[in-house]
Amino acid sequence: MRSLRKIVLLLVGLAVLTGGSLALSQDQFRLKPDAKGKACLACHVAFQERMKLPFVHTPVKKGACADCHNPHTSSHGKLLEEEPNKICLKCHDGIVSGKAKSIHKAVGDGNCVKCHDPHAAKYRNNLLLDGKTLCFSCHKAIEESVKGSKFRHKPVESGCLGCHNPHASEGADALLKTGVPSLCTGCHKADGPSFAKRHMGYPVAKARCTSCHDPHGSSQPGMLWANVHSPVEKKMCNQCHLESSSPEALKVKRPGYELCRGCHATMVNETFGKKRIHWAVVDKTSCQNCHAPHAARQAALLRDSMKNVCNSCHQDTLRRQEASVTKHKPIQGGECTKCHRPHSSDLGSLLDNTSVVNLCGSCHDWLRHSTHPIGDNVVDQRNRNLSLDCLSCHRSHGTEFKGFTYFNPKMDLCVQCHVTFKR
Amino acid sequence: MRNILRLAVLLSAVLCLAHAASGAEAVKLRPMTSAYMDNIGNPLKEPEGVAFDGKSLLAVADTGNGKILLYTFRDERLAPQASFALPQLTYPVRMQFDPKGEILVLDGKTRRISRLTNSGEFRGYVEPAEVPTPGTVIPRSFKVDGKGNIYLLDIFSGRVLVLDPAGKFQREVPFPRKYGFFSDLAVDENESVFLVDSVGAQVFAARRNEKEFKPYSESLREDLDFPVAIAVDRRGRLYLSDQDGGGIVILGPDGSFRGRQSAFGWKEGFLRYPSALHVSDGGILFIADRGNSRVQLFAIVQ
Repeated sequence: MRSLRKIVLLLVGLAVLTGGSLALSQDQFRLKPDAKGKACLACHVAFQERMKLPFVHTPVKKGACADCHNPHTSSHGKLLEEEPNKICLKCHDGIVSGKAKSIHKAVGDGNCVKCHDPHAAKYRNNLLLDGKTLCFSCHKAIEESVKGSKFRHKPVESGCLGCHNPHASEGADALLKTGVPSLCTGCHKADGPSFAKRHMGYPVAKARCTSCHDPHGSSQPGMLWANVHSPVEKKMCNQCHLESSSPEALKVKRPGYELCRGCHATMVNETFGKKRIHWAVVDKTSCQNCHAPHAARQAALLRDSMKNVCNSCHQDTLRRQEASVTKHKPIQGGECTKCHRPHSSDLGSLLDNTSVVNLCGSCHDWLRHSTHPIGDNVVDQRNRNLSLDCLSCHRSHGTEFKGFTYFNPKMDLCVQCHVTFKR
Repeated sequence: MRNILRLAVLLSAVLCLAHAASGAEAVKLRPMTSAYMDNIGNPLKEPEGVAFDGKSLLAVADTGNGKILLYTFRDERLAPQASFALPQLTYPVRMQFDPKGEILVLDGKTRRISRLTNSGEFRGYVEPAEVPTPGTVIPRSFKVDGKGNIYLLDIFSGRVLVLDPAGKFQREVPFPRKYGFFSDLAVDENESVFLVDSVGAQVFAARRNEKEFKPYSESLREDLDFPVAIAVDRRGRLYLSDQDGGGIVILGPDGSFRGRQSAFGWKEGFLRYPSALHVSDGGILFIADRGNSRVQLFAIVQ
């Protein structure tokens, strides 16, 4: 009986404490009953105008400014109660599922104000701009591509949210509502005769539509990507794939580079004629490591920009450039082939010239008339098997020192060879 | 008091033994000697391959000069013995001794493996026979085990092929489903195969009877830029040469990171775009220091 009484007392105590704390959290600043919001607006008069906008954030509408701001002090800008990239999650914490396959960068960074006005806006969901205008304010390349397209994908005309989720997607990459092709076949029925005819009878209903089509719009018929592989353009799928009537119609006729060699024999033979091959050319994925087989946005059917294609394997090299004090223009511009041959070369590092000095000299012509002695006849004092060239002092992909020298040019670089001057 | 002391000594001895047995002790590399010239005084040019016969003969793929070089290694010294250039081998990149003392060399241009006597006589190509489809084989690297079996890293068909000494197919292990690019393999005395993924900076392994490769280490991206070669010692430690970072990373027999040795540089003891490496039973690490146009030898110090 005693213990029951204790439990009851404990429960009552807990209820009082919880109720008290709730009341405190709701009005921790003990504002007078009629002071909510009004107290803030008395000074922030400009807000009164904003409150007239059609879409007002609920706490603002309620006058609960203290839900987000501390009226007295704060460690964060704008007297926010929490770090700017976390404050929205106090209420909207379910906006990104833990299972998300892709997350909008702005959301991931907690940069909600990139799209939403935290107080009031002209557009639904407190968006800063309307529909695709808002998306295009960041995704300018897509806007330009759409504007320049002869054939535009209808859903893009009416907004991006037909295909993409704005915050995150559990179903697919690129914030797509579901993966390709199910997203596409939701509108484009793949079981009709017209679909089959357009695809030469190949069972592409389960293939990746975006390997041929630009989902935003294109000037190519059939909304193919800007650069189309010749057999695709000529609708000669069977040049590479088995016949459409075959049970494995999408299977290619030969593996790896052996398939491409059929048409690109000259290029393949030239590639194999060099001493040093880019090994990716002859691996299982071969040419498709870098090139798209059907169509691509990039010239030469590159899968992505050259910088991204090279970076997909040589991340360390690109990382070095990103961290470098001095940037090397061809790398920054993603022009790896300014210095390297992508398929093969007779030189180490697949360099595209007879010598390092000539290669660098093709851009830096000053080194022909004013330079430290370099060339085949100038022995590197650190290693008698090497001669001095540009790469004896500079690391072309970048270092922590200005001019991407290997060592600190003031203290350590020159004394590598000129040891008598070492302090 | 004496008993306590005895117990403490015994305990520390047991701990030391356990520590040593687990291979957890720190491993360091001490620069020993280097090869800069061949037997007629020509400088090496961008060598990419090294092999040691376990006794005294070191073979070097002098890749830039298109030659095979032989050295004798005794008392921590290298002496050039012979050099030969063969029309079948214009760009040697990887090499191995077989148990009979013959040299197997992979040519980077033709992507074929030649068999040579140690006097430089061409004995023919290793032609993989009875290989299951796809029939095309492109070896990026290869290793030979103590029985003379040849392990080919077939990048075209995405597998490791195990051939008998005559080249006849024995078995194959497919590459794992997800990987970046495999540049080299190592085989230990238990016939476990290790693959180094240059892109993912990770090691995969398949034990003798396993039919698939599994991750053996975590991604070593923090410690490795672009590993291109791998070797294993008798204690199961793995040595990875970091081409772009200029260094050697050592992993313990459990695949854990045990340290990084050497650094990018020109002087002896430093490495510049290192390529293949070989570990001898005697604890010597041979490295084709490609960017420095030399071969370096390091003593493995516990």
